[in-house]
Parts: sequence; structure tokens; C-alpha cells
Amino acid sequence: MDAPSGNAGDRSSPGTLDDTQQPTSRREGPSSPARARSAHRGGAAPWLIPLLVLVTLFYLYPAVQVLRFSFTDASLLRPTFTYGIDSYTRVLTDPTFFHVLWITLVFVLASIFFQLVLGLTIALAVQRGAQNNLPGTGLFRTLVLSSWVMPGIVIGIVWQIVLNSASYGMINSILGSMGIASVGFLSRPTIALWSVILANVWRGTAFSMILLYAGLQSIDPVLYEAGEVDGATGRQAFWRITLPSLRPVLLINLVLISIQTFNTFDMVLALTGGGPGRATEVLALRTYNVIFDSFSLGEGSVLAVIMLLLSLAFTLIYVRFLSAEERL
Amino acid sequence: MMVTSRIRLLAVPFLLVLVLAACGGGDDLPATAPGDESAEGTSDADGASLVTLDRVGSEDAPNSFTFQVTQGHSPQAPTPTWAEGFQERYQAWAEENPDWRIDMEVIPAAEVTNNMAVLLEEANVGRAPDCAEVDSFVIAQFIEQDLLQPLNEFFTQEEIDALFPFVKDVVVDDNGDLRAFWWNTDLRVLYYRTDLIPEPPETWDEHIDAALAAEEQDPSVDGYLFNGGRWEATTFDNLAHFWSQGGDLVDEEGRPIFGEGENREYMLNMLNFLQRTVDTGAAPQRVNTIIQYDEFNTAAQAGSVASFLGGHWQYTQLEEILPEEEFNRWDFTMIPGETPEADATGTGGWTFGALTDDPDKLAACADFVKSVYNGPANEITGELPTSTELYDSLETFQSDAFQRFNEFLEFGRARPGVPVYPLISNELQVGIGEMITGQLTPEDVVDRAFSQAMSDYEASQ
Repeated sequence: MDAPSGNAGDRSSPGTLDDTQQPTSRREGPSSPARARSAHRGGAAPWLIPLLVLVTLFYLYPAVQVLRFSFTDASLLRPTFTYGIDSYTRVLTDPTFFHVLWITLVFVLASIFFQLVLGLTIALAVQRGAQNNLPGTGLFRTLVLSSWVMPGIVIGIVWQIVLNSASYGMINSILGSMGIASVGFLSRPTIALWSVILANVWRGTAFSMILLYAGLQSIDPVLYEAGEVDGATGRQAFWRITLPSLRPVLLINLVLISIQTFNTFDMVLALTGGGPGRATEVLALRTYNVIFDSFSLGEGSVLAVIMLLLSLAFTLIYVRFLSAEERL
Repeated sequence: MMVTSRIRLLAVPFLLVLVLAACGGGDDLPATAPGDESAEGTSDADGASLVTLDRVGSEDAPNSFTFQVTQGHSPQAPTPTWAEGFQERYQAWAEENPDWRIDMEVIPAAEVTNNMAVLLEEANVGRAPDCAEVDSFVIAQFIEQDLLQPLNEFFTQEEIDALFPFVKDVVVDDNGDLRAFWWNTDLRVLYYRTDLIPEPPETWDEHIDAALAAEEQDPSVDGYLFNGGRWEATTFDNLAHFWSQGGDLVDEEGRPIFGEGENREYMLNMLNFLQRTVDTGAAPQRVNTIIQYDEFNTAAQAGSVASFLGGHWQYTQLEEILPEEEFNRWDFTMIPGETPEADATGTGGWTFGALTDDPDKLAACADFVKSVYNGPANEITGELPTSTELYDSLETFQSDAFQRFNEFLEFGRARPGVPVYPLISNELQVGIGEMITGQLTPEDVVDRAFSQAMSDYEASQ
């Protein structure tokens, strides 16, 4: 295959940065690059300081404060507090915490599974539609994207109307017209969790679709042509060409939607408030409830620290994947 | 050289963090926003804006105070008539007080709960607005922590004496000082459709029987709906069943007592009643998903409910949303109790507290609050006044419905303003939801909530 001409990394192409720098370097002799690097190093700090100050003020400082409060028994209802590990003890010995962790695990795993599968399915359908110039493909893509741009609170309210267990709930109204009894989508603990997952998948699928659609666009069509010459079926092409080619995008997608789903709370707050009972109380919502409903800053901070550590773990995985893929 | 400069670079953020942490931050939140000159507003004779989105009065007025208010009680209220009414009153005050400017901070409805916690934190570190609207539910915390200035000199003794007893209990301290101005209140009542429930039920048994009979008469309706989801109203509304038996959640020192002796019995009776409503089919299981009062209005519009436990403000809402013929079928009564004599209803509302110790600002703020909120705001919003004097004099509240609400206020009970209440409420909300779905028994709910409340109370001592 011919490499594209004029690439910045292509030393033979005219007008690149390397070409313009080379004569200067030659004139200044062998010690000049080292001097230039040294000067650059010395001059970088002042340029980075504003960024570091911003990061410190808006990211590092709040994180340190949360960590500090987690080692206190602070309450928003009391002006004084003492330092200790009581908040950690109370949170980690509370059976509710492990119940909430379990709910969060089910919510995150089920959400990312369905978001990936549906996102890929829709991306493939949109790509095929575009290839065949099917009318309405663009509109379909826009419709799917609309769910992604909606605020979580709005999504919660919309799905509450759709899944309302009353006879005037959208789905129950349809079921009623077919003579089927109302289903307690939000009132039965087990179904309620799946209802929340459904709403989250509806919101998150578009994000997966965008990433995977971009990934699909980057697959070289020559691979499919070669497969066709070798007699590969559509299914074989999917498993042997599409999926392996999408691997880096799928991995990045997986990590990003894991972090996103893990931090979801506004949609759950509007949809169920964490109920019935604690059936849909995910870790992020639990943290909110502990601080703003129970006013317990100490215990809420412990939960926030746990969330921070888990999110950090996801981020490290993401960074690792990213560097591994870059090396490849 | 390179190492030194990296160390220097890394040291900057850490030093900054240390300095900020040492300042005891976490408490550092902005007090008020500056005036928005570009905002729309009404104009005085010179054409200058007197009421903008975040300012009242002339921009260059020599004196100013900061004022925090909830959106619904400001010129930015979502209800147009309310917004217009507040706009007029604010404008009038600004015209009468040209030397003063009010820097407003308007709290959106969705942020009210968080904001009360933040305001308390701000008040504790001296960064709160000079005056603020505070939910009556948390005002006791402000009073207990001595964060509010007495308002006696701005109210006559007659005005203070005319306050409803449940209001005085909270805002008048042991020295007889008025520590906050509680300007509106609300109460819960049982709404019922007279075509399905001809006689208002007076007891729990009568109510369940009436709800079942209504469902038999019209199978498309739910006999009874109440708040049973994960939110404050689930506890607050249903506590009327507990209070009407003579129950108390906490003792005078704020120690939880609802899981002991007679109080435990009362709480169990309340929970058993709620459980019975669902078990008998008088109420659907989906009550454990109801997390807003609007759901009752929707059900009333859809013609799918025979009775519900709602707020008094829903009377005017029903009047607006239902055709006259349908509205005339609705009536309300006192929340049924275990016996006909057992009456109680939860009462809430909003107060204003003065957090400034500057006497001039205090006087200006008290004057503003009195001129807008001591009567006029009640008439603008239809939210109930907190004194018999105003109730009897304001035109809006002379209708038959409002007079009946006034009678019911005699049985009003406010939530205890103690630090452990939010936890009790949260535990009961969760417990009621789990009980309705059969995961817990009423005994489990009481015992678990009590154990958690005691643990929290003891940890705070």
C-alpha cells in the first residue's frame, strides 16, 4: 500500500519541520540541540504553573479535604469534630455498605455489557446503512445521540413516566390495553434494579455507539475485500476482522463507560431515589444521601474516598490500556 | 539541576494544598454573588433597575445586605402569579428604601436540601448571607448553635403571642426571644372523592374499608395512595399516624425514644396500618415508588385514585387542573387515626433568620422580610400564615377551605429539630419501602431504625 504523501513524520516529504530545522542545527554544531533542550526545560516551569495551580485548587485541594474529613466524625449539624477512624469503622462494618456495593456491581456490570453490545449493534447498523445510502441513517444516528445529550435528571423523570407502575404509566398503559396486568417496574426490588439499568443503558448506548462507529470507520476496507476473496462469510468477517480491529476502541470504551456508570447518581435519584428500600441505591447515590440527607460529612467522605480509589483503579487500567495500544 | 526544577514544580501544588488545608478549609464557600447588571428588571422613575435577578434596590445605594431566598419565594418563582406578586413587593420596598441595596442569592428548588446543609456550614464559619430563608425543619439547628440574632425588637409581643403553638415551640427560645421569623406553614390532609367515599373516614379501619369499597365500585381506581418512596415526605406524612396516638420520636434532650415502651407500640401501630393498606389491596404496592406529591395530582386527573394523603396546597392545584365538575367531587378531611379522637398532622414551612450581627443590616433585613413576607407573601402564594392574627385578617384565607385548614392546624406537629432526626427519617423511609415489599416486618423496621438512631446519637454525645 502507498503511504500518504506529505506526512509530518515522513522525512522525504518537502516542507516538514525536520527539514526546516536541519540546516540550522548543522550551522550551530553538535552541542546546540542539548543547549536547546536545556533552555526548553528551564523555561517550561513558569508555563506549567498556572495549570498546576488550577489543578491544585479545583482537583487536588478538594480531594485532600475529602480525605481529611474522612478521618473525622464531622457532621453538617455540629460545628465541631474530632479526628479518628470512627467513620471508617462505621462505614466498613455497616451491612448496608456491602449491600450498596453489590447493587453497584450489578448495575455497573450489566450496564457496560448491554451498552457495549447495543452500541456495537447500532454502530454496525448505522455503518451498513451509510454504506448502502439508506435514507434516514443520519436521522437515526441523531436520534440515538439525543439520549446521550440529555441530563441525567431529565432521563430519570422521562423513564419514571415510561415505567410508572400506575395504569397511566406509558408501558403499563399499553399492557393494560392488551388486557395484561400492570407490572411493578419500579416498585418490586429486583425489577426496579433492572429498570434503572435499562434507563442507564438507554442513556449510555449512544456514547458506545459513537466510539465504536468511529472505530469501524477506521478499519481498512482492504481487509474485508481480502476476506471476501478468501471466501469469508459475514459472520467470519465480523469475528476475524471487525472485532480484532476494534479491540483498542472496545477496551477504551469499556473503561470509560465503567467510570461513567460507576459515578451515575442523578438519574437514579430522579428515577427511584434509591428505592424501593435500598434496592437501587448505588454507591454514588449512597454518598449523596449520607452527606445531604443524614448530614454525616465524615461517613460521606469515607464513601467518597472509596469511590475515588475505585475510579482511580479504573483510570489506571485505562492509562495502561492506552499506553499498551500506543506501543502496539 | 533538572531534579531540582522538577521538585520545585511538584512542590507548588502541595504547598498550596497544605496552606489551604491549614486554613481549615472545606468550610470555605462563597457567601453571595455580586449584582448582575445585565439582568432584566423593573425600573424606577430614572430608568435604573430596582429588581434584577440578583439585586434589589439601586446599584449605587450606600448600604447593602446579602439575602438568600428560595426560588419559589422570589420574583423568579416558576408560578407566574407568584413571580409577579414578589416582583411588585420587592419593587415597592426598594422604592421606599433608596439607601439600601439587597444582594440576592436565589436557591433553585432542586438544591434546597443541599443548600440547607451548606448554609449551616457557612453560618458556622461566619460566611453566611446576612439574612436567609431557612427550612423550618432545620431552623432548630441554627437556634441551638446560637447562629441567629433575636428579632424581638422588630415584632410586637402581640404578634409573637399570636403565633401558632407549634411555631412558638420552635422559634421562641427559653428566654422568650424570637430567634427566627416563621412566615408560612403547611399541613397534610386526607383528600377523598365523595362519589366513591361518601362519608369521610375517621379511623384507620374505616379508611381501609372505604378504600376497598371504592375499588369495588370502580375497579379502575386505587383506594388509597400515600408517599412511600425514598424521600422525606414518606416519613413526615405518615408520622401523623404516630403522633396522633401520642407518640414522640425523641425526648427533651433529643435522645431517640421511638423504639422504647409505648412509643414503640405507637410506631408499630403506624407501620402495621401502612402494611395493612397494601396487604388488603386498599393501597397498591407501587406507593413505595411515590417520591413526589404531583403523582397524586396526576392520579386525580387520570381518575385513578379514590383517596390520598396530600398537602393542603394541593387543594388549589386540584382546583386548577381538574374540570369544575370533577373538582367538586373532591373533599378533604383530617388524617384518620387509630380512633376518631386521634388527630395529628405534620406541619412544615419556611422561616427567615438573621445571621448578621450588624445592627443596621439586621434592621433593614427585618424590615424587608416583614414588609414582603409577613402577610403579603402568604396572599401571593396561598401558603398558610403562622399566626391566628394574620389568618383572621388576610382576605385570601377567609374561604371555607382555608378556614378548615386553620382548624386542622390546631393538631399540627412539627418535626423535632434535633441532629438525629434526618437519620431517623432516612431509616424509616428505607424501612417502610422494604416492609411494603415484604422484605422486613414492622418490628424489623422499628428495631433497625432505633438501633441506628441510638448509635448515631451516642456517637454524637
